[in-house]
Amino acid sequence: MTTRVLICDDSGFARKQMARALPEEWDKQILHAADGHEALEIIRAGYGDVVFLDLTMPGLDGYGVLETIRREDLPAMVIVVSGDIQPDAQDRVKKLGAMAFIKKPIDADKARAVLLEFGLLAGV
Amino acid sequence: MTPTAAVTLNEAQRDCYQEIANVAMGQAADRLARLLDVYVELPIPRVNLIEATDLHMALQEARNDEGLSAVCQGFIGSGIAGEALLIFNDTSVQDLAGLLNYQGQRSPWTTEELLMDVSSLLTGACINGIGDQLGIHFNQGLPAIIGRGRNAEELLQSGPYPWHKTLAIEIHYSVEHMNIDCTLLLLFTEDSVPKLNKKIDFLLD
Repeated sequence: MTTRVLICDDSGFARKQMARALPEEWDKQILHAADGHEALEIIRAGYGDVVFLDLTMPGLDGYGVLETIRREDLPAMVIVVSGDIQPDAQDRVKKLGAMAFIKKPIDADKARAVLLEFGLLAGV
Repeated sequence: MTPTAAVTLNEAQRDCYQEIANVAMGQAADRLARLLDVYVELPIPRVNLIEATDLHMALQEARNDEGLSAVCQGFIGSGIAGEALLIFNDTSVQDLAGLLNYQGQRSPWTTEELLMDVSSLLTGACINGIGDQLGIHFNQGLPAIIGRGRNAEELLQSGPYPWHKTLAIEIHYSVEHMNIDCTLLLLFTEDSVPKLNKKIDFLLD
């Protein structure tokens, strides 16, 4: 089954890096969002099974997206991908319901490890 | 002297520099957060081509009646060189000293020690973070205090900046729930910018 993947980051460069880091053999359809509001629209429309979410963004940031997902009980598995690697940031996003935290800069090994850990890459 | 290649910056390059600075500042903030046992707020870094007058304005923003302290530290690697300028207002220096002395595992910090140590930590981690992402090993000079309670204009004049227009990365750190904040300015030499842009374009490819 094709997984609907959403990459949300205000940086076009970071979105591209993220997309490149995802395993080629993973059956997926990727959409991009440049801020939190755009991401929520896509998730509400059902195109965000797995969301790779940046924290620091203008407008609605990653924390705001996590809060909204929880409040509206939206069906998204969120993996935070952030340059803010302080212990506090990691705790806060986990408490807000993020499934995992990946430190930027992202690479293929880190992405694969998380996808395997949560059974998203089964049978590959 | 050979004429310097034009210093330019397009939107894709700016975005890439910003993202690289964002990751590097996060690594530096993590070290400060662990040292002080606080949470450091991380706004989006600003990347711009600036002229000497712009730098003057940037410093003016940070300026207040109490004066500023700044530590400057040079870095060089792969033909790319620059200066890091870490600017504190004096209230931040006092509060930072209070926070560190309160932890009390050692004799009180002098202001000089504190400026040098915090600067080495923040600037060092940031420069290394940028270097790692670009595949450059930067050698870092010793930090030097260039302003102690001096105003912004004096601060500008004391720096060795023989440039007209160059690339500046401006990173603002502030400690949550406290009056501690500082600005890290990374200024690259004019002739480094085309080489840096080439590295950036490679990443963007």
